[in-house]
This record gives sequence, structure tokens and C-alpha cells, in this order.
Amino acid sequence: MEMKFDGNFEVGIPRAETFALLSDPNKFMPVLPMYHSMAAKESEPNTSIVKLKIGIGKVHGIATTEIALQDNQAPEKASYVGKGNVMGGAYNMVVGFNLEDAANGGTRINWHGTTQIYGRILSIAGGGLSGIAEKEITRVIGSLQDALASREHFEAVVRQAQAAPAAEGLIARVARFFRELFGSAPAPAAPAAAADATDTAPARTEPLRKDPSRGVIAPLGSSIQVDSDGSKQWTGQRLRRKEDERLVRGLGRYVDDYVGGHIAHVGYVTSPYAHAKILAIDVSAAEALPGVICTLTGKQVAAQTTAFMQIGAEPSANLKDYGIAQDKVVYPGEPVVLIVAETARLVEDAVQLVTVDYEPLPVVLKSEDAATDAVILHPEVGTNVSFAGVWDHGDVDKAFAEAAHVFDIGRLHFHRFASTPIETSGAVATWSPRGEVEIVCNNGLPGVTVQMLAAFLNVSTEQIRMKSEDVGGNFGTKTVNHTYIALAAVASRAIGGRTVKWVETRTENLACFHGGERTFLDTKVALDADGVITAIRSRHLDDAGGLLRYEPLGCSIWSQVYPATYRLRNMHIEFSQVMSNKAPCTPNRGYSRMQHIWFMERVIDICAHELGLPADEMRAKNYIRADEMPYTTPNGNIYDSGDYGMMLDKAKELIGWDEWQRKQTEARAEGRLLGIGIGSTVDSGTNNFGQVLYVNPHQVFSGNTEACRIKIGLDGSIVVTLGSSPQGQGHETTTAMVIADDLNLPPDMITVRTGFDSSWNTYSGLSGTIASQFAVTGLSAAHGAALKLKAELLRLAAHTLQAAEDQLEIGVGAMGPEVRVVAEPERAINFWMLSNLANANISNVPESLRDINLNVMDVYKPPFEPVDVEKKIGNQTLTYAPQIHIAVVEVDRTTCQPKILDYAVVDDCGVAVNPKIVAGQVHGATCHGIGAAMQEAFQFDESGSLITATFTDYAPITAINMPPLKTAATSTPSPFSFNGAKGCGEGGGGPLHCISAAVQDALHSEGVIVTESHNSPSILMEALRAPNRAQVVARA
Amino acid sequence: MRDATSRVVVDVTVNGLSYQREIEPRLLLVEFLREELGLTGTHIGCDTSYCGACTVLLNGKVVKSCTVLAVQADGNRVETVEGLESDGKLHPLQSTFSELHGLQCGYCTPGMLMAAKSLLDGNPSPSEDQIRKGIAGNTCRCTGYVNIVKAIDAAAQQMREE
Repeated sequence: MEMKFDGNFEVGIPRAETFALLSDPNKFMPVLPMYHSMAAKESEPNTSIVKLKIGIGKVHGIATTEIALQDNQAPEKASYVGKGNVMGGAYNMVVGFNLEDAANGGTRINWHGTTQIYGRILSIAGGGLSGIAEKEITRVIGSLQDALASREHFEAVVRQAQAAPAAEGLIARVARFFRELFGSAPAPAAPAAAADATDTAPARTEPLRKDPSRGVIAPLGSSIQVDSDGSKQWTGQRLRRKEDERLVRGLGRYVDDYVGGHIAHVGYVTSPYAHAKILAIDVSAAEALPGVICTLTGKQVAAQTTAFMQIGAEPSANLKDYGIAQDKVVYPGEPVVLIVAETARLVEDAVQLVTVDYEPLPVVLKSEDAATDAVILHPEVGTNVSFAGVWDHGDVDKAFAEAAHVFDIGRLHFHRFASTPIETSGAVATWSPRGEVEIVCNNGLPGVTVQMLAAFLNVSTEQIRMKSEDVGGNFGTKTVNHTYIALAAVASRAIGGRTVKWVETRTENLACFHGGERTFLDTKVALDADGVITAIRSRHLDDAGGLLRYEPLGCSIWSQVYPATYRLRNMHIEFSQVMSNKAPCTPNRGYSRMQHIWFMERVIDICAHELGLPADEMRAKNYIRADEMPYTTPNGNIYDSGDYGMMLDKAKELIGWDEWQRKQTEARAEGRLLGIGIGSTVDSGTNNFGQVLYVNPHQVFSGNTEACRIKIGLDGSIVVTLGSSPQGQGHETTTAMVIADDLNLPPDMITVRTGFDSSWNTYSGLSGTIASQFAVTGLSAAHGAALKLKAELLRLAAHTLQAAEDQLEIGVGAMGPEVRVVAEPERAINFWMLSNLANANISNVPESLRDINLNVMDVYKPPFEPVDVEKKIGNQTLTYAPQIHIAVVEVDRTTCQPKILDYAVVDDCGVAVNPKIVAGQVHGATCHGIGAAMQEAFQFDESGSLITATFTDYAPITAINMPPLKTAATSTPSPFSFNGAKGCGEGGGGPLHCISAAVQDALHSEGVIVTESHNSPSILMEALRAPNRAQVVARA
Repeated sequence: MRDATSRVVVDVTVNGLSYQREIEPRLLLVEFLREELGLTGTHIGCDTSYCGACTVLLNGKVVKSCTVLAVQADGNRVETVEGLESDGKLHPLQSTFSELHGLQCGYCTPGMLMAAKSLLDGNPSPSEDQIRKGIAGNTCRCTGYVNIVKAIDAAAQQMREE
């Protein structure tokens, strides 16, 4: 562990004297509050051996340091190099200073220090070393600064010290030191002590560091850095993340990092066809290859497993999915034969030796074709339609009858793409002879996945140890890698329990994990004379791909944002989902809601263009208003807070709306195609799993849960475990911040072990990191656990300190975290001693306090009521975080290449626990949306082959395609979360909405209506070649 | 059938230490680093040299180690993320990436750091445009590149001042 500190302060004595002090350890060391003793090293005259008293947690000891002065450039600068040992650890340090003359004859001391610490001391300190060091350094500087304020002050200090000779400590040592430094012994004045003490008191209680003219101690660096806003709360601070410590060193531990000599490797022969019958499989040549351990066909897997649980109701519940093809393949890339070999390279060799005879079948690619059931993918289901339902709210017929304007809008289509985390899916599985299976993986929803795995593997959930550590991105796509994880376990069992590893190739990832595609048909919109939309009627067709891995849950999720950001009360949406011969869909950042909001935003812009209303005015007329919050949508969702109008104003200001309007007029005059588009979106977070009942009334999930456990370790350290499975969202840091606020301790002192582990007993049946929820679910659990722990600490401390609980506080003392009496801080008991009493020294605790374990868990359960399945009414998520995006896009007339000229985004996630992390989420979600809108799309040829099967073809967005972003935030705290925070990770697909709007704004004069969410040059060229406005929009 | 069992001896200097290993001729440099040396900081993201998660320096030049055979590194010098820290001191890029939140999941970070190091080794004062071009071969899915660009700029400034 490395700690760095720096800062500066001013003292009242001249530079030469200050230098004389600081460059001579014999003079300066004794001033330190923790000074013990010092001696010169005999062999090396420039080196001193200093002993300091150090207290950390339960241990207090003597640190022995050899220090030597180097780079002595009197009276400007010098530095000390040191090394030493303390409490089973070792450390190196460099401390340097340079001096400048300051006003009034004083000196400004700029100092910097670096120390590396190794060994057991780190565990003793429970991750809190830098907090302790920071406190010690603050004490040292405070002493130095106070003592060196001025000669007058120094003399007063000495008088006071002599007045109280019994107080053996800092003051006496300062006095001794200054007697030597200035060569004058202040007059002994013991009888006058009282009077002198009063005259010195004001000088000492006037903290110099608060006087700007005297210099300020700069904030200390530590392993987590604070850009302090002066608040005492950690929540809201821009802390550097705890997890970065390992990640910037390449020391993260991702699933593929489990390497070892005895791990066997799993891979697949996959289908080259989108739809085909499997006639025969020959694995003999593959099995004969030295190094191949075994092969498993789909039939062999099915013989020892139970088909995966389906989320939907009948008939889609009849789907038999074993994660590997049985009699037929239904999408290209579907696993057909599993191979286990000694190395991943041998697996690839073996794949080439397997022959599979296929009989190609007619391919269904278009959702509308799939819905006809002319070709059926799964005979056991009997239809391609995996869900069909109607959302009908308000009085749609009446609204249409009374409408001033009615528009018919033709087919709109939201394309397939995925956020493709750079780490692909993977699993390491070991089947033990006792029938238990241990799995390390990077699944995103382990609380649910472990239940899916257990049923498939014919074991109980308690026979599975499932864990994850660092995860290299997810964005929803790893929510449903459970079939592959399960097959790795099957492979381990097949080879006698030896550990196997499966890591997906990029091509497999691109072939098998797609984000949802949706088609919007037969849309009718009613508006009043003012341009306020009063009703929408439409038919939506979602495309799940070849298998249902999390679907048809998306058929419910979209309705979390039913009217999007608008006041619309009358809606009739016929929503169905089909299976087609493409990859199964996974949740993907903005899951199911971004498709729906894109549709709503298209409707808004198309209507605005047809009515000749500016896009901003159209939105201002239709937005839900701030004074209506919390706002209940027609289907019972309770939008918690937000001021969309204000956010739009802010976004317009950010991008320079008026200036761009002017430039657009000029560009149009020059014949250029320049458009400005707004995207309004809302990210619904903290899922109510009860909405699964909309797709299957027999399901057994509802509400939401997340767990957090905090214990005081046997060494007094604070250790936190979580049920979440973070993938870059900084859970270690934000959890430590929340607990730090509750316990009045620095976040550095709180160790958070992230990653899911079902053997830690810190998880719930819905644990995971999905659906923009950790800021509410995980942090609420952390808060709940911290309060429980605090109550136990205070109860136990009240007994030992013989004080009432309300007279106690938690804080950091010389011996680490402690509980102390507020009025008498020296009456304290540290966490190690409390842990000792609760865990190992029980006889000294009265019977009435023996329920205290200092090991507490809290499961957060948001207040969701059951949903009304018939009427499809209920609150589907707890928080609704809006974002407003504005893009300026120019389309080149010749190449039809769209280019983003300017981009602004305003987000509101309520209270940002760590604004740095929130901003990072906004940037990331915006980048995904821009990538999808501008360049990323899964594309197929007529036979259904994926033609974007590598990154080179799929081309995820890079730094050169990503425009600079102008960002700002508003904060309307959520009334429903304890901390006012809202989940904000998914973002709601804002860029897709605003880029479609901007492209349409650019091309509308050419008779083009944007009907595709993808804006590739070929799509735009086609649109300009054959303008579609007459076909797409009609005034009824 | 190719002979996967014939093996060759390579001698590669990685982060200043010399390693001799007998390996399959087809072993990729990234596999050599991860499997033979246990240096798992260099990651695999795409297998086709697009994403740059496997970026390392070979004789001081940026390469994507998924597209270099280990035998090509024989007798040569490789630098990986594990070698960025020297004398217990983080490289300025490692510090600024953390300070400015230039990483989230951390998976692309090692490759991104190595690409950025190579950029700054060759150009101590890159413009924003040059920074973006310098990391164009490295894909990050978390950050939108916003803070990565800032972090590289800040590190460049810090290195110029040192």
C-alpha cells in the first residue's frame, strides 16, 4: 500500500530558523506528538534511529525508523529518506520540504511525503492506515504550526509548559526544543502560571490554519482523494475510488484470471445455420485428438439435466432450453457440441474435427413474418408468439373523438445492437464428489441465476457456491449467461469433478448476446389544438430472438416508462413478442424502456414537424410538470421527482440553442443538412419484480431485495460484504462512503469486499447488479446494516464506559475507531476491544448484552405493493431519473455520413452519492447510445448469417468517433430513497432519441421521416433517395 | 493435423526480468504472458486486434499481444501494465486515471495505459485530437472516453513538469 501526502502551511519565524529546525532531526523529532526516543546510528553519522509511538486498532507499539537527511540545500529545501519496521510490517518513506519567505517575516513550508507500507500492519489497521496517518500528520503539522507561529507565541507556549511541568508531553518537549533552538531559557515563572496560562490560552485556541493570511493546510492526499466541498458528509464528495488501487495496477481479478495447471477448458461447436434440423453428429475424430478429454452433445446434456426454468406463462413456458441444441438449431452461433480439452487451443482444434449434418429450414428474420407462424421455431411451444398483452388506460376512444389533430404513423423500427463489454462471459466450475458445485463467474444477477442453475443441475441452491469478483463490464448482457455457466458445471461433472474454465470468444459473444429489437406498427396519435398529445394507439412487436433467456420479461419492463416524460393519460398499446432466427436477446443498458421511449420521442417529433411546432416547445407543452411530482402515470407508476422543463432549459443553454438555430438557418441557406434534436428520457431504477406477473401471473417473484453485512473483525476492522455484483460502478467506494457517514469514520477505514459469494451468506433471492438500482437497494442495505451495527456498538460501549448511550459518539482515536464519551473524549473504548468483548471475552459481558455479535445484516426491501395484473396497474420501479440530451447533427449530402457537431446532456439522479461516479455513468450510457445510433448494429444476410461477427465488423465506438460531451446535472432528491438518490446507470438511451430527432430535423425538408433508430450512411442514403414522408405520416 | 506438441524455447524479457520457457509455437504473446508467466493484467477482449485490451509494448513499441506470437517476442523486451509502477511509485498515468475517474470496470485499463504511455513517450504534449487518435485502437465500454482523454492530458502535464 502506498500513501502520499502533501500540503503547505505558514509559520511565524524566519526561513533560516525554520530550516535549522526542520533539517535537524535532533531538534525537530522531539516536537512530534508521538515521539519516544532517538539516537544517532554509529556506523552512519548522517542517519538517526528514531522511535515513535504508534497506535493502530488493537495494537500499539513502537515504530523504529532509520532516517537520513539528503539533498540538503539550506535554507531552501531538504528531504528525509527513511525505512523501518512496525508491528509485523515494514515501510519506506520519503518526506521533503521546501521553504519560501512569507509575509511578516514568516516562512511558508511546502511539504510532501510518500510512504509504502508492507506486511501485517495493513490488516491490523483494517484498511484504515491512511486515515490514521492523515490524522497523525494533521496533529504534527498542527503542533509545528502552533509552536512556530511567532517568537512571542513560542515564549508563551514555553511559559505554559513550565507552569504545568507534570503534563509530560508535547508542550514540555516543545519548550525543551525551543530552549535549545533560540539559546535562551525563558524565565521560570511557576507562581505566575495561572496568569500566564490565561494570556497564552487565546493564542492556542486561535487555530492558525483558519486564518487565510497565515496560510492554510492543504487537504491531505490519501488513498482516496477528496475534492472537498467543505461538507462534513462523505455523501456528495467526489472521492477517488477504492477499487482503482488494484485496477490501475492490472491486479483486478476477473474470471479469466483464474489460471492453473489443472484447469481443463470448455468450448463449443456452434451452428453455422440460422435454422436447421440436426441430422447427425460425429465426434469420433475430435475425441481421438490427444488432449481432448470428452465431448457432450445436446442430448447427452439433456439426459442429466432439467430444462431451464422459463419466465413466461404457457405456451412459451413449454419451451425446452438446455443451453445446447437438441434436434434443431434456431440461430447462428447456437452451441451444438460441447468439448472439454486440456487447453483452450486444443478445444479449437477439436471443434474443427467435429462433423454435424444439418438440414437447413426456412429462416424467419423479420418480426412481422415470425408473428404469422408460417414457420414455427419451437414445435413444443406451437407458436412464435412468446407473449401478447394489451395495455389500455384512460379513455382512448373519447380522446380520439375530441382530437383537433390525428396522425397515422407507419412502421418504426428499433435495431439490434449490444453494449458488448470488453470482458466476455466466462465461468470456472468445479463439481465436488459430494455433489456440490463451486462456480466463479461474471453473471450480473447471481441471486436469481443460482436458482436457475440449481433447477437445471438437479441440485439445491445450497449445493452451489456461486461467486464473482471483478467483472469487466456487463451493461445487462451478463444477466443471462446462466446457460453457459450451467454447462461448464455439467462439463466438470462429466470429467470427474476436475475444474473447467469456459471463456467466451468475442465472436461467440457477438453471435449470442443481442440487445432487444422492436417494431412499432399502426400508430395513431390524437392531439388537441395546442399540440398537446391526448392519446396514443399503437401495436408493438418485440423480437426476442431464437430462445427465451430472460424474455418475455421485457414485455413488462417497457411499461415502467409508459407515457415516457409526458402527461399523456389515454393509451392503448397492444404489445406482443415473437421468436425469430436470430440470437436470443438479453437485457442491455436501457433494457426495454429505451425502445419504448425512442418510440414516444419519434411520435413527439413527427407530430411537432407535421404541426410546424419547434421541438422544444412541443416538449414543454407535453412534459409532466415539476409541481405534479410525485406523478402517477396512467398505469400506476409513481415518478418520484424531476423538473424536465428546467432540465431542457439547462440543456439548451449548455449547447447554445439559439446560436445553433442561427447556424442551422445559415447552413440550410447553403444547402447543408443540419439538424438539432432533443431526446428526453427517464431511467426507471430499483425494479419491482412483481411486474413479472404481467407476463406470467403464476410467477413467484415480487418487490425487490438486496443484502449487506457489516462486521467488526477480531482485529477491530470494519468489514463489509454485499450481495451485488458490480461491474465498474464503484460499489466499494460508495458503500464505504455511506457507512462512513453513519459511523462517523473515514471511508478509508471501511473495507468493502465486493463481488457476490453465496457462501458469504450476504445475499438475497434477487441480489445482483441490474436495473439502475444499487444507489437505492445496495446503499439502503448498507445504511440499514450500519445503523444496526451502530446500535450494538453504542449499547456495548455504554456498559463498558459506564455512560448513557446518548452521551456517546463514534470516531477515530489514537487506537483506531472507537466509541467515546462526547464530553470526555479520553473515556473511550476502541473497536478491537469491543469486538473482543463480543466475540472472545464473553464472561466480562453481562447476560443482557450477550446478544451483541457486532456482525449484522440488513436486507433492504423497498415498499412495493402488489401490482394489479388484470388492469396492469402498479408501481414498477421506485425511482425515475430523467436525462435530457441535445445533439446537433449534420448529414453530408454526398456520402450521407452523419456527423455530430455538438452534444449536451443534463441528468438528474437526485442526490449523487459520488458525483464523479455518477458522471462516469452518464458518459458511458451516452457513449453506448451514440455508438448504437451512429455505427453499431447487428446485421444479417438473407440466410440469417450474422455479418457483424467480429469487432472489426461490428465496430464498437472508439475515442475518435465519440464527440466531446457538454454535461450538467440538476438534483431533485427522490422522496422514496433514504439518501434522496436514484439509480442512473442505464441512462434511458437518450442519444438514440436525440440523434434520430436531429437527423429528422436535418432531413425533414427533403421529405424524410426517420423510422430507424440506426443512422448508418446506407440507411440515410436510402431515405434521401426515396423520401418516405408521404408513406409514413398521414393526417387522419 | 498440425503438431501441437512440438515445443520451442523462447527467452523474453518482461518488465526487466528475463524468462525462458518451452512453449507451443502457436502460443500468442498474450497467452504467454497470462498462462506461462501469470501476468494476468494484460487482458483479452476480442481476439482480432480491435479492442486493445491486450496492448503491451514490444521493444518500446505498441503491439496488440493477441496478434503477436510469443516466438516473435523471443530475444525481445516486453513491457506490461505490471511494470508501469516503479520503485513503489505509480506511473503518472495510473494516478491520473484514478484521480479523474478514467476507469470503471478496469478491464480495458491496462491496455489503455500502455497505449497512452507509448503515446506520451513519443509526444510529451499531445493535443486532444492526438490523444484520441493515440487510443483509437483501444476500446473502452464504460467511460465514453471522456475522462480517459482528460487523464492522459493531465498525466502528460504532470510528466512535463517532473
